[in-house]
Amino acid sequence: MSRRKTLATAAAALVALTLGACAPSADSPEPGAAAGEGCDGDAVALDVWSWRTEDVKTYEQIFDVFEQANPCITVSFQAHLNTEYDQILRTGLTGSDGPDIAQVRSYGLLQPLVEGGNLQPLEDVVPALADFDDATLDGSRGREDGAVYGVPLASQTIQVYYNTAIFEEHGLEEPESWDDFIALNDTLLDHDVTPLAVGARDGWFVPTVHDALTAAQYGGADFQQALRDGETDFTDPAYVDSIQTLADLQQYMPDDVTGVPYTDAQVLFTSEQAAMFAGGSYELAFFQDANPDLDLGVFQVPPPPGSALDHPVSAGYADGSWGLSAGTEHPEEAETLLNWLATPEFGQLVADELKQFSPIPGVEFSDPLQQEMWDLYQENPAPYLLLVDYRYGDPVGTDLMGEAGQKLFLGDTDAEGAADVIQDGLSAWWTPGE
Amino acid sequence: MSRRRTAALPTPVALLFLLPAAALFAVFVLYPMATALTYSLFSWRGTAQDAFVGLDNFVALFTTEPYATQLPRAFGHNALLFAGAMVVQNSVGLLLAYALHHRGRLRRLFQVLYTMPYLVSPLVVGYLWSLLLSPLFGPVNAALRAVGLDAVAQPWLGDPDSALWVVVLVTAWQWVGFPLLVYGAALGALDPAIEEAAMLDGATSRQRFWHVTLPLLMPVIGTVSVLTFIFSMEAFPIPYALGGSSGSPAGATDVMSLLFYRTAFHSGASNAIGISSAVAIVLFLVIVGISVLFTQWFRRVERRLT
Repeated sequence: MSRRKTLATAAAALVALTLGACAPSADSPEPGAAAGEGCDGDAVALDVWSWRTEDVKTYEQIFDVFEQANPCITVSFQAHLNTEYDQILRTGLTGSDGPDIAQVRSYGLLQPLVEGGNLQPLEDVVPALADFDDATLDGSRGREDGAVYGVPLASQTIQVYYNTAIFEEHGLEEPESWDDFIALNDTLLDHDVTPLAVGARDGWFVPTVHDALTAAQYGGADFQQALRDGETDFTDPAYVDSIQTLADLQQYMPDDVTGVPYTDAQVLFTSEQAAMFAGGSYELAFFQDANPDLDLGVFQVPPPPGSALDHPVSAGYADGSWGLSAGTEHPEEAETLLNWLATPEFGQLVADELKQFSPIPGVEFSDPLQQEMWDLYQENPAPYLLLVDYRYGDPVGTDLMGEAGQKLFLGDTDAEGAADVIQDGLSAWWTPGE
Repeated sequence: MSRRRTAALPTPVALLFLLPAAALFAVFVLYPMATALTYSLFSWRGTAQDAFVGLDNFVALFTTEPYATQLPRAFGHNALLFAGAMVVQNSVGLLLAYALHHRGRLRRLFQVLYTMPYLVSPLVVGYLWSLLLSPLFGPVNAALRAVGLDAVAQPWLGDPDSALWVVVLVTAWQWVGFPLLVYGAALGALDPAIEEAAMLDGATSRQRFWHVTLPLLMPVIGTVSVLTFIFSMEAFPIPYALGGSSGSPAGATDVMSLLFYRTAFHSGASNAIGISSAVAIVLFLVIVGISVLFTQWFRRVERRLT
């Protein structure tokens, strides 16, 4: 082969390679997607992103309802792996190939997108937001301007689940007072049943357990307000007492609790080896799925004597919302869809099909247990404190409680020391009252 | 030294053929590295690049909490992972390779068996061991108790004193096939005449290993050590599967990559991208710097031995 011919071949190969690399990928949005019946002209395709890979089919059915009512808009729903979603979304919203509407995280983890100007404020776009509960909307607010950047999708509540069959077997009932609660734990322990299924090896689970058991003791929303007003910090005696309660209850948890993974705690409960599970409403679908014969009940833990509140509470938080990309090419259609995502029609579909707590006013839950958890929360709500207000910096409050709680369970520190871990850690970026 | 021309291709054509690989390298390796470097020199407001701040992010990394505590702690854990891998993984790998060297028929079988875990995703290996070591349902403690070794059964991953060593052992379990294969190949390449000569001179098998085989393996030991160092510094999936993103329990298994992961994707701090890029650059500099020093030191040791 002559030298020139070789060069030409090589150059051609190179060009082919380069072009190949530039070819659009197969999943790029197609302009002018097939219009539904009753639409004159081209339909507009909206890209909607989510981290719920497990819900893709259900969401497609839910969006079918929207597409039938809005034949000129088609919804292309794409889910990305939960653990990679935040990176992918940041890249998508800053680039050109991103979504029009995306599920976004709540509270602290929403802020990077708000500060980067990737999302649009929604109060004027979605008038129905005015009817939402204020505490729920807090999850979607920008830290600096206080504007709402998402239509709340789901809320979670934290309470104690119990196995009604085990309770009946030992003649136990939902506790009315702290003494009842301790007495039933002792009874279970005497009969070789693990009272509380807790796994503290996963640090994130520790603050959930702490708030499920003691939110009323340190004062729930009142304590949150005192912190916001700068009247106290996490070394407050009431908060230290609540951590002491967590330590006192360790005897009712599995042995070597810091070595028990969260998933083992779930199995302990669903396999009916443990009587109670302090956890979030998001557990319900898993529990019912893992053991359909499980008879479940829920209660709020009554506060111990000397607590800041005289009634039990459920901690709760907003868990994800729908944000509107600042760079959408179809603002009008995206706003139509976003407004539909704030209707009771959509909220009811989320409740029925996805088994999630839609915070949209007027939604009802067909599962009696789900309705009970929601009612308990509505009666006596409290914030899931460390998640709601203390994820706006590094380190985040929930991680600190995870570490402090593990040290507490290991006997490496006492309740005061654990409170210090949280206070010292947060003081890197938070000053009470600011 | 005279410059040898390649017979098949004239230089410009050869360079042209290098171009695609070089382009890919530039786009997927050099460009991200340069980006991380520039990211670390700016302050960030969420996803938006803010002002040029020079080395402020690095200063913050070494002087402000939580990084001033977590960075040295994580780095120390990486160093222990490396020490553990050298002691457990590489020495066991070398011994196995040496033991298998003279077993003709069984060598292949055992090489395959020891290398199998290598083929499984480290994240999966981590989760598997986390299940095996669970204090509630884990078969490891159950087996120990069944044979009366109750005192040995313990919350492996729940105790800060043992958790990091579990990470070392699980990592070694997965990667022991790597030194085994490399050392096996190196042993196969040694001239058998040298060992025969030593044998004729009356050297015992122990003397032959320490004074003949080991020095001849020095170049390979150096390479394996440097690669082990790099793997240990970059350890992420196994620590993540065994201890979560915060290095449970109580930070006992926290490593540099987890610190990066937390600051980059798990923090609510406005300047998360700036700080996490600084962590990435520090990690990169440590790996490059120490790898170069290592390589030079091993070359000196080799020269002395040969």
